[in-house]
Amino acid sequence: MAQELRSINLVAPAFKGINTEDSPLAQDPSFAEIADNAVIDKRGRIAARKGYDVITTTKTALGSASVRAIREFRDNAGNSKIFSVGNNKILSGTTTLVDETPASYTITADNWKMVDFNDNIYFFQRGYEPLVYSNSSGAVEKMSDVSGASASVDIPQANEVVAAYGRLWCADITNNKSTVYWSDLLIGQDWTGGTSGSIDISKVWPDGYDEIVSLAAHNGMLIIFGQHSIVVYQGAEAPATMSLMDTVAGVGCVDRDTVQHTGTDVLFLSHTGLRSFGRTIQEKSMPISTLSRTITKDIIGLIQGETEFFRSVYSPEENFYLLTFVGQQTTFCFDVRGTLEDGSYRVTRWPGSAFTSYERLTNGTLYVGSSEGISEYTGYSDNGSAYRFKYFSPSLTFGDVSKLKILKKIKPTLVGANSATVFMKFAYDFGTSYRTTEFTVGNQRPAFFSVNEFGTDSNPLSEFTGGELTNQRSLNAVGSGTTVVVGLESDINGFALSLQEINLLALIGKTL
Amino acid sequence: MTIAQNLNLNPTIGTPLFQMPSVAPAAGSIQTGFTPQQMASMVGTIPTGGGLGGLLGDIGNFLGSTGGQQALGAGTGALLAQQAYQRLGDIGERARREASDIADLGLTQTEFRPFTVTTSTGGMMGVGPEGGTTMTLSPQEQALQNQLLGGAGQFYGQAQQPLDAREQAVFERMRAAQRPEEQRQRLALEERLAAQGRLGTSSAAYGGATPELMAQETAIQESRDRAMLAAMQQAQAEQLQQAQLGGQFLSSGYVPQAQLISATQPALTTSQLAQRGQLTGAGLFGEAEMSGLEALLSSGIGQANLMGQIGTGLLQQSLQPTFVGGTGGGAAGSGSGGGLSSITSSGGLLDMLGITDSNNDGRWWERIF
Repeated sequence: MAQELRSINLVAPAFKGINTEDSPLAQDPSFAEIADNAVIDKRGRIAARKGYDVITTTKTALGSASVRAIREFRDNAGNSKIFSVGNNKILSGTTTLVDETPASYTITADNWKMVDFNDNIYFFQRGYEPLVYSNSSGAVEKMSDVSGASASVDIPQANEVVAAYGRLWCADITNNKSTVYWSDLLIGQDWTGGTSGSIDISKVWPDGYDEIVSLAAHNGMLIIFGQHSIVVYQGAEAPATMSLMDTVAGVGCVDRDTVQHTGTDVLFLSHTGLRSFGRTIQEKSMPISTLSRTITKDIIGLIQGETEFFRSVYSPEENFYLLTFVGQQTTFCFDVRGTLEDGSYRVTRWPGSAFTSYERLTNGTLYVGSSEGISEYTGYSDNGSAYRFKYFSPSLTFGDVSKLKILKKIKPTLVGANSATVFMKFAYDFGTSYRTTEFTVGNQRPAFFSVNEFGTDSNPLSEFTGGELTNQRSLNAVGSGTTVVVGLESDINGFALSLQEINLLALIGKTL
Repeated sequence: MTIAQNLNLNPTIGTPLFQMPSVAPAAGSIQTGFTPQQMASMVGTIPTGGGLGGLLGDIGNFLGSTGGQQALGAGTGALLAQQAYQRLGDIGERARREASDIADLGLTQTEFRPFTVTTSTGGMMGVGPEGGTTMTLSPQEQALQNQLLGGAGQFYGQAQQPLDAREQAVFERMRAAQRPEEQRQRLALEERLAAQGRLGTSSAAYGGATPELMAQETAIQESRDRAMLAAMQQAQAEQLQQAQLGGQFLSSGYVPQAQLISATQPALTTSQLAQRGQLTGAGLFGEAEMSGLEALLSSGIGQANLMGQIGTGLLQQSLQPTFVGGTGGGAAGSGSGGGLSSITSSGGLLDMLGITDSNNDGRWWERIF
């Protein structure tokens, strides 16, 4: 008597993102073992990330180096100018990178941090006199050369700077990693007069000693991130009287460039993963939630293995927080629209990413820096090259780990992926030798109003399609095992791909 | 009883404060002139002219002849005149000598008598013969005076100290009193700042510190300023006070002496009274002596004049021509024989002239020359 096929429907597979922490056998099928070059799309499905489109056409000034930082400067008149750093230069522009480095100002490192403050953009890097640019001056110049600036020796050559509460705040200077400096009110170049000042928190560290890594301003508070602890001051609007609000021991920040504001929270990378401060004004305390609990080991490994630098960006338009380990060309994409039951963000991984910097523009555009210059996060190819989207489920037991499963059918439902070749893979019993079956998604170009369906000169001029292409396939599977891992790979090259669901049909065999 | 015996200024004291000298002349003093009795006897017994005739008769009889008698008369007259002359000189000399003796006696009688005043607290003031005053305080008074004068010296010394040193000293004491509280406030603020994590706050608007720290330091500085001003005022007040105390101590230091002087005032008054009596007595004595002397001198002058007149008479008679007649002479001689005895008798003319024959040796006449 033929056995009944048991159906396992993986609806919106991996919509909880990667989970490498829990046992594969006990995992929720909504997690993914691998979700590379993927994001959680607007419908909560795992989908291929966007690619980047290089804007820069002339990058002579950049040479073969990569763009290490990008910053959009908007003055009070609404003028916008893009600054970037790389190849030991201060650059401007997007299509053509123009060297804005002041004359007789030698730069040997590109670890700049740029902040936009009061009609000026400031460049800070440890060991370098800060630089200032304003549209009125039209040039990047040393801070001490700016009118009203303090003497060069009095200007902190800090590595970290934020603009908040009407001032510039900076910290992490050579030989002094416990003092936070603030400028005079609205005068970012005045560090000795007015209401400028400093605070030495060497006696405040909860663990006795720490070094300032980063600063953040949030809801009237000044958050000082140490390597292994966090100090929070309240009343930072009046820094001379701001007082200690809270301290957190054992949790610090790995790098200043991992701190991002989400509007209601502050995200930062600690040594044990991505964390955030909850907005708890009434509670007057700063509960910390771990946002990368599903990839803790992975992220720790990457942190420890990082030899270059970190980059991050928060994009409310894309609803993600990107964290890039530049030296290991790995980016984690945290979906910030919601958290899982344990408070974690849904996370996917972008391996092999060449992103070296990010900047979200005021209009929501996400700029990405790389060795190719400045790119825009858009489209579904990496500047014309395909990138591989991967999904692998956790080990599926079909409810009974002790019985043999004989996989018969795999029925993926894909959205988009026009003309893409999709590889469905499956393996049994935690094996790494996957059986693969492939198919090509049909070619359907969506037509929109006033857009010719078949090109510029096509006839008719416009037709309407059903919108996104949905593709369902039924693929035969072979083999058996107690656990089954199903995967999907596809090269993304011009079209989006979302995995709506995967329906598995299997025979449940004998108990092993 | 002498004046001094009558004067007991302080009955409570066993001995009088001073004694007036006795008016009685000291033993061995010079006896001046005749006593009034002698003077009266002498005047009353001056022999009349008949006596003188007897005397001359005796002399004539003694010479035994008329020429002798004339010569004797001339000699006697000259002798008497010379004697009168001599006596006048002696009287002047005696008057000068007696007056000098009276003056000396007056000096002696009126010279200042040293005296000593002893107060009930043991202080003594002695007035020496030359009028020098010696005041001696009792040991207790002297100790007190030394203490007070020493204290005055100290206070004046302190008052003369430079003010800046005292100001600094007062300021340091005030600051020493303020510092503990300031330190407590500093510690409290430090704890508050540490609790607020603001210990390392440095703001250019607050002098490189926190507002609280600046306010505290400002308050401390104001306190220091006030202490400095208060120290200056205190030093000046102390200087004035020390000067006043020095004055008070100095004044008080002389109180025992002043009290001693004050205590001697009654004695001085009494002394003045005694001296006044002494002077008066001496004056009366001198006047009386001088009166006696004057009377003596007058009588002596009278005697001398009389003797001179007698001598002059004798000389005149002897130079006049004489009539020989024994009866006359004999009469005279006989008549004057009784007269010679009256001359030589006690209290007679010779005694009056200082030619006595008290020893009745019959050689009185030799003593005429």
